[in-house]
Amino acid sequence: MKTLLPIATACAALLLAGAALAESGTVIRATPLKQQPFLDSGTVAQLSASSVVDIVTRKGAWMQVKTRDGRNGWVKLLNVRTGGASGGGGLGTVGRVLSTGSSGTTVTTGVKGLSAEQIENAKPNYAELDKMKQYRASNQGATASARSAGLKAQSVNNIPYTRGNSGGQANDPQSQRRGG
Amino acid sequence: MKASKLLCALALAAALPAQALDLGKIVDKLNENPDLVNAVGGVIQNTVDANRTIGPQEEATIGDGLAANLLGAAPLVKDAELQRYVNQVGQWLASRSDSPGLNWRFGVIDSPNVNSFATPGGVILITRGLYRELRNESELAGVLAHEINHVLLHHQIRAIQSGKGREALGSALQGFTSYKQGNARQLGANAISGMSEVFVRGLDKDDEYEADVRGMVLAARAGYNPYSLVSVLQTLGEINPSDSTVQLMFSTHPTPAERLNKIDQVVGDKLERYADGVEETRRFYRLK
Repeated sequence: MKTLLPIATACAALLLAGAALAESGTVIRATPLKQQPFLDSGTVAQLSASSVVDIVTRKGAWMQVKTRDGRNGWVKLLNVRTGGASGGGGLGTVGRVLSTGSSGTTVTTGVKGLSAEQIENAKPNYAELDKMKQYRASNQGATASARSAGLKAQSVNNIPYTRGNSGGQANDPQSQRRGG
Repeated sequence: MKASKLLCALALAAALPAQALDLGKIVDKLNENPDLVNAVGGVIQNTVDANRTIGPQEEATIGDGLAANLLGAAPLVKDAELQRYVNQVGQWLASRSDSPGLNWRFGVIDSPNVNSFATPGGVILITRGLYRELRNESELAGVLAHEINHVLLHHQIRAIQSGKGREALGSALQGFTSYKQGNARQLGANAISGMSEVFVRGLDKDDEYEADVRGMVLAARAGYNPYSLVSVLQTLGEINPSDSTVQLMFSTHPTPAERLNKIDQVVGDKLERYADGVEETRRFYRLK
């Protein structure tokens, strides 16, 4: 019995994890559905843009999906968006409108956790900051721990990012208010 | 009297770099609030200070104050094993960056909200709410590598300096006089509170996209699958945006779909040769 309990717990955890991973997504561009997560693998079908798929799992740059007509296969992660047909963009705007802004005068009730108001009304807690010191890892310790976890340092070229095409601040409460 | 201070403030604002201040917004704000005219008039010397380069020690002091303030809003999760684990992962990533010697500290804070924060000088905080959404160590690395790059690129300190919002501007300036003592505790709660507006207002979209791209490169350098950040963003895209736990994050970041589009456009398949990097590790700490 003693050995069964942890196994039962692990099974329950796996089932829960499975339930949490019941995701769906939308293919954003026409893309081949591959048998395996490799470009040179066989093609199961051609998926058209806006196809809805159920997400089975992820591996590397690939995602295993099931199409609504029951085909299984792999597509590139970046060819799929989650969060509804619009890929979450439209819905995200709704979220921003509902946000409380930063005037400090808006009182929002029922918002739990780390809200704008809580940050604005917080008092510094230096005792907690001091605690962080004791949890610090050294470069040497972290490197040894990473090695045991199977991590290997890689040499990777930087990818340049050109600023200036993105329209500035992520969210300006002022302009939002002006825009109604 | 007020008029002359207003003029002074305007002259000052005009002297600042064009990209640093939205003059129209400041004038609006000054008109709304006559007290602010006095406040701005009183900090002219501080404004001059604020426009100079902030050194590493000053960044560290301000950053510690900001981190203490976030910890005042949500303390660390009381779980030493969890805290040590995120420091192992975070420090390993930081050791692969251009500034391995910074005073990096990582922590999980006790909030159901989905968010993460970086403060100048190297404190990085991730909420329990976001940690719960992560499938494996590689996804954690994706989040931490994004935040590490905000620190490396000085995004928060520059946002505070550029003075978006009157609170951030006014109080940051007050802070710049008093931090000369070199201890965050002497910064003053009001100055810290004012500078903390940066976490409520958010950064430029470009800052977020840049941290995404460079975070993926850093994760790859540390041996992780860099595309795990894509998975995290897809997870975030599934959360109902009207859910209160994501309000602050969604109000301060481009939408997950916008970020994925940018990654698609800038990174695309460029890091695919590293996509077979580590995802699952036995040490990955699952929240109870």
